[in-house]
Amino acid sequence: MHVLLIEDDFAIAEFISGELTKAGYACTHCGDGDSGYTTALEGEFDLWVIDRMLPGRSGLDLLGGLREHGKDTPALVLSALGDVDERVRGLQTGADDYLVKPFSMDELLARLEVLLRRRSSGGEVPTRLQVLDLHMDLLQQEVRRGDQVVPLQPREYRLLEYLMRHAGQVVTRAMLLEHVWGYNFDPQTNVIDVHVSRLRQKIDRDFEQPLLQTVRGAGYRLGPEPP
Amino acid sequence: MTDRRATQAQRVLRSLTFRYGVKYLLVLTGTVVVITLLLYGLYIYRYFNELSRSIIEEQDTLKLVYNGQGLDGVFQYMRDQRDAQILDRFHYMVVDGDGKRVGGDLPEATSYRMFDDGWFYLELGLMQWGEAVDVEFIARMNDLGSGYRAIVARDYQSALLSGRLVFTTLAQAMLVTILLGLVGGYLAAQRSMQRMEWLGREMSRIIRGDPSKRLDVSAETGHVVTLAKLMNGMLDQTESLMQGIRGISDNIAHDLRTPLGRLRNQLVRLQDSLPEERRPEVDGVIAECDHLLQSFNAVLRISSLESGSFYSGQRQVELARVLRDAVELYEPLAHEKDISLNFRPPTRLAQTRGDADLLFQLFSNVIDNAIKYTPRNGEVAVSLSAGGPAQMHRVIIADTGPGISAEHWEDVFRRFYRVDPSRSAQPGHGLGLSMAQAVAHYHGGRVDLEGNDPGLRVVISLPYSSTDK
Repeated sequence: MHVLLIEDDFAIAEFISGELTKAGYACTHCGDGDSGYTTALEGEFDLWVIDRMLPGRSGLDLLGGLREHGKDTPALVLSALGDVDERVRGLQTGADDYLVKPFSMDELLARLEVLLRRRSSGGEVPTRLQVLDLHMDLLQQEVRRGDQVVPLQPREYRLLEYLMRHAGQVVTRAMLLEHVWGYNFDPQTNVIDVHVSRLRQKIDRDFEQPLLQTVRGAGYRLGPEPP
Repeated sequence: MTDRRATQAQRVLRSLTFRYGVKYLLVLTGTVVVITLLLYGLYIYRYFNELSRSIIEEQDTLKLVYNGQGLDGVFQYMRDQRDAQILDRFHYMVVDGDGKRVGGDLPEATSYRMFDDGWFYLELGLMQWGEAVDVEFIARMNDLGSGYRAIVARDYQSALLSGRLVFTTLAQAMLVTILLGLVGGYLAAQRSMQRMEWLGREMSRIIRGDPSKRLDVSAETGHVVTLAKLMNGMLDQTESLMQGIRGISDNIAHDLRTPLGRLRNQLVRLQDSLPEERRPEVDGVIAECDHLLQSFNAVLRISSLESGSFYSGQRQVELARVLRDAVELYEPLAHEKDISLNFRPPTRLAQTRGDADLLFQLFSNVIDNAIKYTPRNGEVAVSLSAGGPAQMHRVIIADTGPGISAEHWEDVFRRFYRVDPSRSAQPGHGLGLSMAQAVAHYHGGRVDLEGNDPGLRVVISLPYSSTDK
């Protein structure tokens, strides 16, 4: 997997590319907007990670230009701004995800993983999800572990659905808030953990092999890590 | 409409320009009245002085005539005087030693008032131009000689009349001046108030909406232009300050958050190379880092909300939905503490223009606090009453916790403020309510605190907005 990183802060770029390499990605780095634009236009990449504030051409201008050229490579925009409307503007310009600095590397990796997976799964619409012996029937809205039906509240169902769709991937708390609750915000307390532990009670309590794991410092993962 | 006109009139009457006008008018009127009275007094004084002097002189003449020509000469003189047809003339009467009238044109007095030194005042009905008129006289009696006494009288009616005429004319002129002044003052005040209101309206439009807009200087003339130019200058300054603050925030973000994030990530990397038993220590440090970063993010978000303009988008947010989502998110947390968390939805649709993520942040911060400070088996009641065009929506989040005493109600919105130092044992960064207030202000609303006996009521007011405009 080849990631193009367009980031002007050398220290951050070095750190990110180091971590990406460690996680098994190949990484190309560009230090300013113009060279980033040409590189992205000419090369074949699986992912773009673009900083919003760049010397030369701003991250969003760059992305908008690339999208106009018909490039649909998944893009994650990094931003140092705590501004409110930036996120919406970023997503409107064609970013697939948006991350505010500073972020933890786990958050970035988790989100990149999701973007890659989303791309490879293509357009097919599944009607069933399965993680080991946990089954979810999306039409009946029914969840079974083994032979047992697991009764879930609507929100628990959506939480589990999101986790199952991203089975084996690390899902962060911010991602859960964003996609299960539909709000992008900054909870003051561990409110998400309470929801997850409730869900865990229902799907894992009576079974030997726990499915829902807490990934330290990052978030949660449902099912075994992919090889 | 009539109501509005009435309040408009009241506002004009209360305006500074009008009050100045009225004060000026009062002082002017007072001065004119005092001067008129003084003049009138002086005129009367001089007039009576002159009158009495002329009467004494006339008496001296009579005495001379009497000494030279006797009583007949006096009568002849009196007749001559009467026939001379002088309008403002003397009237005479001669009485003998017994006080009986012997001659002259004055009828015998019916009533009179004596003053010192032979002066007296009398009032007589006289025939003037064929009409009986009550005429007031001032008169003096003195001895002619041989027991005869002469009374010389002169009426002062005409003088008084002309005095009064002047006086009433002045008073009427004054009254007209006052009336005209009031009307003029009212109109001037109305005009100046309209201009001031225009300025105020434009300013608040700029402040609330787009801080890069300016007042239209060409639309006004005179002092208002100077003022408008000054205000534009002020807006320039404010805008550059705001940009400065944004710049500083950006710099802080770049200069401090980034290395902090790097530090955190290095710790994570370090952790992988540590033996299993040492990892919890580093976990603690990482958690501290996360906490610090979170505070940083929150402060920056608050700053950017406060320094920015108000929400200017067109997105409609249905408050009941956002509030229900927030309540639902916190339900398990409340359940863990056996707190009953209830939501009473509004009877009507409650919409506001704004950012759903931010409003969710606002509600969840307040609900989070309420649950945090409410003891086990307590209650947190959330309700929403829909407003209208003239009334804001009200979200009330009431808890049964220890509450906050009224003297701290203002302070708790300050960043990092904690009412009770012992409360710092509670998790959180002391920014929840500042953030809530910043979000409310950003939407043109506000957060207020009230007592709940026991507990705290947080009242969030947000502007009404409707889609069918």
